[in-house]
Amino acid sequence: MKNEKLSSVERIKMDSDGLRGTLKESLNDEITGALQPDDQSLIKLHGMYQQDDRDRREERSNKKLEWLYSYMVRLRLPGGFLTPEQWIGLRHIAGEHSTGTIKITTRQTIQLHGILKSHLKPVLKSFNTMHLDSIAACGDVNRNVICSAHPMQSAIHEEVFRYAEKISLMTLPKTRAYYEIWLDEEPLIDKKEDDPLYQDRYLPRKFKIAIAIPPNNDIDVFTNDIGLIAIIENNQLLGFNIAVGGGLGTTHGNENTYPRLGTIIGFVDTEEKTLKAIYEIISIQRDLGDRSDRKLARLKYTLDRIGIETFKKELASRCGFSLEHAKPYHFTERKDYYGWTQNHIGKWYYTVFVENGLVRDTERVSIKSAFLDIAQTGKANFRFTGNQNVILSEIAEEDKPAIEKILVHHGLIDHTNTSSAMRKNAMACVAFNTCPLAMAEAQRYLPSLISKIEPILEKYRLQPEEITIRMTCCPNGSARHYAAEIGLIGTAYGQYNLYIGGDNLGERLNTIYKVNLNESQILETLDALFETYHTEKNNHETFGDFSNRKWIKTNS
Amino acid sequence: MLADNKLKRFHQLIDDFSYEELIWINGYLAGLAVNSNPLIGVKPNGSENKSASTKKISLVYGTETGNSKRVALQFAGIARKQGLNVKVTALDQYKLDDLKNENYLFIVISTQGDGEPPPQAKLFYDHLHQLSLPLPNLNYSVLALGDSSYPQFCKTGEDVDSRLDAMGSKRILPLQKCDVDYDQDAQQWFEQVLKFFQQQTGYDVETIPKVETTHQPRTKKFYEGNIKTNINLNDRGSNKQTYHIEIDGNGVVEYEAGDALGIIPLNKKILVDFIISLTGCDGNQIIETQRVEATIEQLLTRHLNICYLNAAVVKKYAIITGHQIPDNRYDLVDLVHEYPLRDASQITEVLNILSPIAPRLYSISSSPMAHGPEVVHLTVSRHSFRVKEEQRYGLCSGFLGELPVGTPIHFYIRRNRSFKLPLLDKDVIMIGPGTGIAPFRAFLAEREATGATGRNWLFFGDQHFTTDFLYQVEFQNLHSTGVLNKLSLAFSRDQADKIYVQHRILEQATELFQWMKGGGHVYICGTKYPNGKDIENAILQVIEQEGHLSQEEAKNHLKQMEQENRYMKDVY
Repeated sequence: MKNEKLSSVERIKMDSDGLRGTLKESLNDEITGALQPDDQSLIKLHGMYQQDDRDRREERSNKKLEWLYSYMVRLRLPGGFLTPEQWIGLRHIAGEHSTGTIKITTRQTIQLHGILKSHLKPVLKSFNTMHLDSIAACGDVNRNVICSAHPMQSAIHEEVFRYAEKISLMTLPKTRAYYEIWLDEEPLIDKKEDDPLYQDRYLPRKFKIAIAIPPNNDIDVFTNDIGLIAIIENNQLLGFNIAVGGGLGTTHGNENTYPRLGTIIGFVDTEEKTLKAIYEIISIQRDLGDRSDRKLARLKYTLDRIGIETFKKELASRCGFSLEHAKPYHFTERKDYYGWTQNHIGKWYYTVFVENGLVRDTERVSIKSAFLDIAQTGKANFRFTGNQNVILSEIAEEDKPAIEKILVHHGLIDHTNTSSAMRKNAMACVAFNTCPLAMAEAQRYLPSLISKIEPILEKYRLQPEEITIRMTCCPNGSARHYAAEIGLIGTAYGQYNLYIGGDNLGERLNTIYKVNLNESQILETLDALFETYHTEKNNHETFGDFSNRKWIKTNS
Repeated sequence: MLADNKLKRFHQLIDDFSYEELIWINGYLAGLAVNSNPLIGVKPNGSENKSASTKKISLVYGTETGNSKRVALQFAGIARKQGLNVKVTALDQYKLDDLKNENYLFIVISTQGDGEPPPQAKLFYDHLHQLSLPLPNLNYSVLALGDSSYPQFCKTGEDVDSRLDAMGSKRILPLQKCDVDYDQDAQQWFEQVLKFFQQQTGYDVETIPKVETTHQPRTKKFYEGNIKTNINLNDRGSNKQTYHIEIDGNGVVEYEAGDALGIIPLNKKILVDFIISLTGCDGNQIIETQRVEATIEQLLTRHLNICYLNAAVVKKYAIITGHQIPDNRYDLVDLVHEYPLRDASQITEVLNILSPIAPRLYSISSSPMAHGPEVVHLTVSRHSFRVKEEQRYGLCSGFLGELPVGTPIHFYIRRNRSFKLPLLDKDVIMIGPGTGIAPFRAFLAEREATGATGRNWLFFGDQHFTTDFLYQVEFQNLHSTGVLNKLSLAFSRDQADKIYVQHRILEQATELFQWMKGGGHVYICGTKYPNGKDIENAILQVIEQEGHLSQEEAKNHLKQMEQENRYMKDVY
């Protein structure tokens, strides 16, 4: 890779003096709401994106105003957990500085949108007082580490959850830039900030780690660069199977790009070995990843380029130990357990359906108000799932009625119970109006599309089927569209490619079926597919498996 | 100027001297001064005109926009070259006690939109009207500058002229009223002044620059344009509505950056038609009023104010029609409806008592050199009529910002000669919060177009960065290309504490003072209260603090800059 021309982001990272760049100057520039171009790249590694309201571009330009720039701040929240006090603080910050909507991401963390440049420092300072930060939440570093969200499912959840925190800490950049720029920490005079993991170039591309606790693959473990699958025997955590090279991003028209599920390369037992293996997988990607073409820079391409066996050898040599053979595991589901559940020591959990992860008050349901009321009781923690829902957790038996009352009062129980199975298994990326890559609508369109699909499902009596549908605004989208039974990927405004045949557990990718469909074509096509599925499916055969058998395998 | 104690001694010395003796001494002293300092004055052209050159001649001016000052300084310069010893004084500097000692007093004075004297002349004006002593020794003439679009055209000049007459002074030349295109009328008046001294002394005036002598009344040039673009610059969610309006002049419009554009708002057709039908007159009948000759319909539409008539007009209407009308302000349509004319022919009398429609003035935000000579841009806030009076008239006619593209616009140019860019190599500091930005957009475009080498610094402020940063993209571009060297911003409502441009001025005191000391020109545009006043105070504080001067010295420093045309204000 050394002889090839580095991508421009590589130069920006190297020249950034530990991710400082000219961010301070950019923040002080009162003439614009934007940052200097290089700083726009750097700020991602501080957990923020510069965005603009794309719906308003033309109107603002006519008014001789620059685009309406604002910032998305994404928290680093390994495993997706907040105390009630932190939720209250978060809500306050969201109300004062952002659009007011709290967005739960597909990676178990929180994003606030619409923050003006002049509000960034106050926001990050407020988060800091709550012991929250956004370090490395975006950019070419290890992102938020996610972990199976359902603590009630297993007695060892807590133990596994701690790994998310440990991995997150181990992979944090060592620079003090975040503290200097956002929290006004005095710069060190004799600055020595050796970062043995990231050095001065960080990673060639984003890097994602997830930990799954079978039998639930709620966090889509195989779509991550590193997937850890907890191996449990007799309620004991034995260690983890390690999968590498997952990743779903592709580029329209670039045949060299493809979605890929992770490959299991072995098993590690101790914590020390687990962390060491993760560290060295990252260091291999750091050294061997493609730094000239960002579209081919993810670990999956590195892996396929050098081959699995070479990769394993390199890993063993860097670790000083070889991985053991992978242990058997079994996923049987990939979902959130909506409603009330109880764990082995009698604590209660309520999983609230939050459509598209948007915590706000609407005419139908006041999720935001309900969460505030619940947080103010101090009787429930907040956990976020990889499907963008919220688990109100660790509720004592005696507090359950009070929480239930608040949930009923704000319509959350009704909302969670009556939303269709498809709606509850749907996922969409942010897209318009803020995502700079968006080619089509997603988050603000999918709910209404589902409303039009629901009658078709009803026609064929398929409403109870838990069919996963995921929509993204572009092939890079964050909604894991290739790992769904129905995937819709935007190609142009109002047009989508339709993918089918993915399985229900996230172990088989879907395949392109039709291209450039508008809404009525999507509905017509699904109507035909559902009709056939309804009449020809075997017992318990999921839509994804049926589609694969019926339309995909025969084609290939 | 003499110190008080010296002045006292001087008064004691001349206490019992006769008028003739004083004249002689005056000339004698002037001669001494000329001989002792080669920089003062120029030697007269011959011995015969000694008596003329030794006359004490004062030329005073009272100005708001700077036009009177410009005229006065220009004439004084010519007069001095002719050997006339003319002393020029701004009326706010004029010692009121001197009035009784004047021989020849020439007054160039403008009138505000509402008939008031310019603030600079207010003290003089009031003093003149309170003075009980006659001024029989005074010879005078008044040159009045005004805008005939206003009902009180040249009112202040008229008042001063008649007041001096009433006090027994001798009017050596009749009052000369000038409209906005005042050059020729003013020059004719000044020629008469010079001729007067020539006749008195046999003094030769051949070297005066010749001016075509036409005795037709000067009228300002009107343009028939169309609205080409009309955009609300403020974004959604703003408390403000500021419109960027581009007017196509349908040909070359003679103007310069810094000038203002005047619009006579038209009365609504529905009202005019209603008045014509209620009075039963023929709308096409041509009538001659004091100022214009036009059809009744034209007069009612574009010349005469028919809304919110003042008490004097209502009273005259009552006399004409013979009705008892309670004191109040009425629209004409209500008057002719409730207190009808005796017959249609009375319309002529009624039209003659109506005041002209007052124009609205807007600072121009374009430069012919940068934007092309056939378009004029305006930056108009919904609530920024330049004269308070006009808001009342605003009741009748649509606001400019509401006019759709294509609407015909009847407009004229009001020169503002005291608000002009300096030489290309001079530094320029522009302070224009809100719609005060208008002339500076023009200035900056012109500085760019002319390749000016001096630096440019703009202070701008409004409520919110996101919604109210007028012309943001243009200023960003000028900043990145280096035309705009510094851009200091104050958005008052983006944080808990209100921040205004004056705070930014104080924050940058050191650098600002350096620019000023280096010969920089300072311009202020915007509303007089509170912006104009607060900004001036901040500038005074900068001078005081950075120049290590007392408050008084700082004031003098600023005054000095003003006299050198390095401190200019267009506040309204």
